[in-house]
Amino acid sequence: MPFKYPLVLFQNRKPDRVATLDEYRESGGYEALEKFIGGGISPKEVIRLVTESGLLGRGGAGFPAGMKWAAVPDSSPFPRYLVANSDEMEPGTFKDRMLLHVDPHCVIEGMALAAYSFSGSKAFFFVRPSYESSAAILERELENARKAGFLGNRILGTDFSFDIVVHRSGGRYICGEASALLNAIMGKRPNPVKPPPYPTEKGLWEKPTVVNNVETLANVPHILRNGPEWFKSLSATEHGAGTKIYGISGRVSRPGAVELPIGTRLSEIIDLHCGGMASGSKFKACLPGGASTRFLTPEHYDIPMDFEDLKKIGNRLGTAAIMVFDQNTCLLGATLNLMEFFARESCGWCTPCREGLPYMRDLLWRIENGEGKEEFIPNLRMLCKQVWNSYCALAPGAAEPVISLLDFFEDEVRQHISEKGCPFHAKADH
Amino acid sequence: MPRLIIDEREIEVPEGTKVIDAAQRLGIVIPRFCYHEALGSVGACRMCAVKFLQGPFKGVQMSCMIDARDGMVVSTTDEEAVLFRKRVIELLMMNHPLDCPVCDEGGQCLLQDETVSGGHGRRRFRGPKRTYRDQYLGPYIKHEMNRCIHCYRCARFYQEFAGYRDLGPLRIGDRMYFGRFSDGSLESPFSGNLVDICPTGVYTDTTARFKLRRWELERSPSLCNQCSLGCNTAANAHHRGVMRVEARFNSEVNGYFLCDAGRFGFSYSNGGTGHRERPLSPRIAGAPASAHAALTAAREALDNIAAKYGPRAIAAAGSHRNSFESQCMLDLICRTRDWRGPVFFWGPEDRRKTLSAVEGLDGEIAVSMREIEKADFVIVVGADPLNEAPMGALALRQAARKNAPVVTIDPRPIFLPCGFEHFPAAPEKIERYLGMLVWKAVEKDAARFGKDAEEFCRYLAAECESCEPPAAMARLSQLLASCSRPAIICGTDVTLQTTPAFAADCVRLLRLAGKQAGLFFLLPGAGSFGSALLSGTDDKTFADLVEDIEAGRVRALVVGESDPFHHYPDRARLESAMSKLELLVAIDYFPSETVRRASFFYPSSTIFETGSTYINQEGRVQFAHPVHCGGVPIRGGEHPPRVYSDLVPGGDHLPAWKALWQIAGTPDKDAGPGGISPEKFIPAALPAFDGLKAGHGYPVDGPRLLTAKAGFQGKWERASADARTGPENPEAFELLMVEWMFGTSEFSAWSDSLDAAAAAPHMSMNSKDAARIGLCDGDTVSVELDGGAFEIVVSVSDRTAEGVLVIPRHHSFEWRKMKDSPARVSAEKIRKI
Repeated sequence: MPFKYPLVLFQNRKPDRVATLDEYRESGGYEALEKFIGGGISPKEVIRLVTESGLLGRGGAGFPAGMKWAAVPDSSPFPRYLVANSDEMEPGTFKDRMLLHVDPHCVIEGMALAAYSFSGSKAFFFVRPSYESSAAILERELENARKAGFLGNRILGTDFSFDIVVHRSGGRYICGEASALLNAIMGKRPNPVKPPPYPTEKGLWEKPTVVNNVETLANVPHILRNGPEWFKSLSATEHGAGTKIYGISGRVSRPGAVELPIGTRLSEIIDLHCGGMASGSKFKACLPGGASTRFLTPEHYDIPMDFEDLKKIGNRLGTAAIMVFDQNTCLLGATLNLMEFFARESCGWCTPCREGLPYMRDLLWRIENGEGKEEFIPNLRMLCKQVWNSYCALAPGAAEPVISLLDFFEDEVRQHISEKGCPFHAKADH
Repeated sequence: MPRLIIDEREIEVPEGTKVIDAAQRLGIVIPRFCYHEALGSVGACRMCAVKFLQGPFKGVQMSCMIDARDGMVVSTTDEEAVLFRKRVIELLMMNHPLDCPVCDEGGQCLLQDETVSGGHGRRRFRGPKRTYRDQYLGPYIKHEMNRCIHCYRCARFYQEFAGYRDLGPLRIGDRMYFGRFSDGSLESPFSGNLVDICPTGVYTDTTARFKLRRWELERSPSLCNQCSLGCNTAANAHHRGVMRVEARFNSEVNGYFLCDAGRFGFSYSNGGTGHRERPLSPRIAGAPASAHAALTAAREALDNIAAKYGPRAIAAAGSHRNSFESQCMLDLICRTRDWRGPVFFWGPEDRRKTLSAVEGLDGEIAVSMREIEKADFVIVVGADPLNEAPMGALALRQAARKNAPVVTIDPRPIFLPCGFEHFPAAPEKIERYLGMLVWKAVEKDAARFGKDAEEFCRYLAAECESCEPPAAMARLSQLLASCSRPAIICGTDVTLQTTPAFAADCVRLLRLAGKQAGLFFLLPGAGSFGSALLSGTDDKTFADLVEDIEAGRVRALVVGESDPFHHYPDRARLESAMSKLELLVAIDYFPSETVRRASFFYPSSTIFETGSTYINQEGRVQFAHPVHCGGVPIRGGEHPPRVYSDLVPGGDHLPAWKALWQIAGTPDKDAGPGGISPEKFIPAALPAFDGLKAGHGYPVDGPRLLTAKAGFQGKWERASADARTGPENPEAFELLMVEWMFGTSEFSAWSDSLDAAAAAPHMSMNSKDAARIGLCDGDTVSVELDGGAFEIVVSVSDRTAEGVLVIPRHHSFEWRKMKDSPARVSAEKIRKI
């Protein structure tokens, strides 16, 4: 019953192993590459089809993929680079790792086609070091793809040459930010850089560079093989397109990654595809798209999980990593946990993030541990507002759970202050 | 030109001006930490937040990151912006120690100013303060990381602007650390700028640490006189001693920065320590005397010599250390008294090179350091900018950062803090390589260059025919052909006599080819340009004086701020000549050998104690204001004097020109130092100075003093014929004595602070040469010269030209054993030990 929807990215998912090149080809893999690259169809056509399909970037920002490729000017210099961002350090997120362990060739083919669309000749697969197994799988499968002629010099005998290098990240959250990621690849300190110039004009070594999320790239072969209309029809909503891998963690019966039509309702995801809440647990809140999104309350339990719909309620789909909290979870404690992460992972470039996040962490820690004061709450609110003036999106993202905690669960926070300690801890003690 | 409104006042600014600068033009100083005009904007500190009310941007934004545009309405006082700035201060002060009372930055601290002006008074943050371990960063810079506010200025200056990599950001988040990978001296000779540029007290000046407070200092605009560039400084004095020197902004010369030699090389003026006491008391035959007695006795002794042997038996010598006032005074005295001299140069080669440089430079082709930064192709010939004019190397780096190719043609294994292409070339090959590079770039247009350039073009074409160019030269010529603002930096130390004129002609040729080509000479010292201007008629140098002394034609020598024992390459000969003198009068501030031997000595004021004019190597007249009155400095811990006197202890010094005037200038021996003013005697020596005075008066500070358009020097065919008569022993190595940034200058010899950074001397030679005579890198050798041997460590490199031995004029060993200059050493005279 749970898998009543057609699987696209996970169609070759095996319970115990990685799909092979042959298995991928049997399912129609590399047909798009043979048709478009081998058949010499214009790169512009690739961009047109993907743009038409409505594929939005799956890394969190939801920028139309085709438009990003089209942003590489025709007249720009060579070589042009593609970067697959598999840094995936957003807390709660594990979809890219699943993809690589399920069907790596889907990603490889997607990268070749994406690069073809803007005449890129080299790609970096930027992967976090704790994903060593994914990196090893990819390196092995890249070799298989090269042997099969899908990568390397003159792919399928055409003029198009393209290859992929696996680049292990230093392992910092900020390396997932596109401009910081490019600095990291170039061996520089991974501080974000503000555009202009955009990486699509001047990225790696001053050459045009496109940075795409792994899931975005994995969708490309399917779109090109089956057409944009098919892709649109996969969605559960009118405005959405395609499927989405939701990564559910927390107090549900069956946490994990599931591929569902984009825009599937949260209630359906939890109740049908995750076996409902864990026994004894009641849905209190969730973070719908990783740690840098706002808490989503039971009021929106039925919301379609798509970019548009979440935006309407002031939230974000982000990476669609749904972290579910139940009535026994101290959300202040959870937020403090997240803030520990963000404060640790700030790159240190700008003041509001470098010093502001540890400030928030300190205030949250004091409230959680019974040293809270009334005046901390307005101070936290102000800080959350002010970190929006930082250099990149790290600190504003880090402030999201905090400000939504204060918006939706202020009573719970106040209870910590008035009871001089965490009410949930107290219960656990008894 | 965008027009915008800031705080209800309208202003029009040039395209590309940042809002923070536009506000500054209105006198509104928006608080900032990371932004610095020389480093550009990066938006790290978030301190310069203002509110954009109308225009393409809205809300609170960083004013350093946004270009002024038409229609912008900006408020710096909007509540939201003010609250945010206040928050930034609060965040920075979360961890900043409250150690202002013991911090050397206190009183000149940007963080202190912004904290007070932002109204941050109470620390709400209740967590502990972050602490770091500090590092040892060498003799000049003290590290105190706890004070860091992570603005990145240090790293951006150190790495991006100056091109060194051993200091930078480490770690992330609020554990971020600015320092080195491990303890050790900073590699950059521009490290002192960290003190100026750090907005708080992370980097403080070790030499000045714990000695002063900003508000106690006597402070004046001054100059650096350690090389010919004439960088602007602000000197700070306290208790009759110079305590600290800082960079002073000059848009045309040094910009915002200063090299470490210029910044820390002032300790000679305070007497240093130990045996390096600065002589502050007049002496007669070595015994202390009163100022009046010493001056009168010297005057009488000189009059006696003149009466006995005639005035031509007296000679006067100055040096490149002299202020222009002193040089003009020497000139005046020699003219009025009919003495020999004054000589300012040590040998005929030095003199001719400097003179031809000064003659070859005109207002059209001379470029400033600022223009070097804007050049799109730079050729460095016979010059080692980092050692001979360090700030020039920093200017070169700025050009290189804008992708200007930099080419060096030099016998030394040059290092520059930027990418460059080095052609090792013995001095006699420098012109050939430069000629090839330039000729191949302009060849195709040569037909329309006209008559003036005909001879030079013919000569260059013939030179190019005669030999194969080094690889990579053709590619560089192509780049040179396509650039529009090339510059040539030409040295005057290791080059041939003809090279400065040759470089000037190359620049003229490039200009004929339609390029805005510029010329930038490096001269031996701060006073070189001035001495060249005054050495026009008399073709004499100190070498001639030595002959005159030996022959008995000169019986008395007056030296003003000059130490022949430091410079003259044949010590034994100099000693015997000096002992023949009947009278040696010395006026100086160094405790030099000449001063020690003088029959009459009068202490002169340093640049910090007297107003003095220097003309830098591009002909720019600049004035250093006196900073303090001088005298014996009060050392730390001493009780102030209990007995009051109206005399300053050790205050018997005069500017050299005033002392000279009293010894020999004034017709009335009892007149005292009055009755003469530089305003009168400088134009008397150099009429062109009068032209500068219009509207300026004396002192003159800023304008360039350049002769009329110079034109092609010509005579190349004959000159080349002369140059081709090779040395008698072509197998022998040519000994090139060179300057180092630390350890070779007179300032370095008498300043402990510079000594601290001086590396041990070594002799550079080409690897093929070394292999030929069986030497390897790191060997210690004995080099035997005509006048004896010295020992030195060998440094072998492919980047040193073949056939030369490059040796620094280091004060740590006695190299002055050369009978000829330049000297040649045959292979068998170099023994490994």
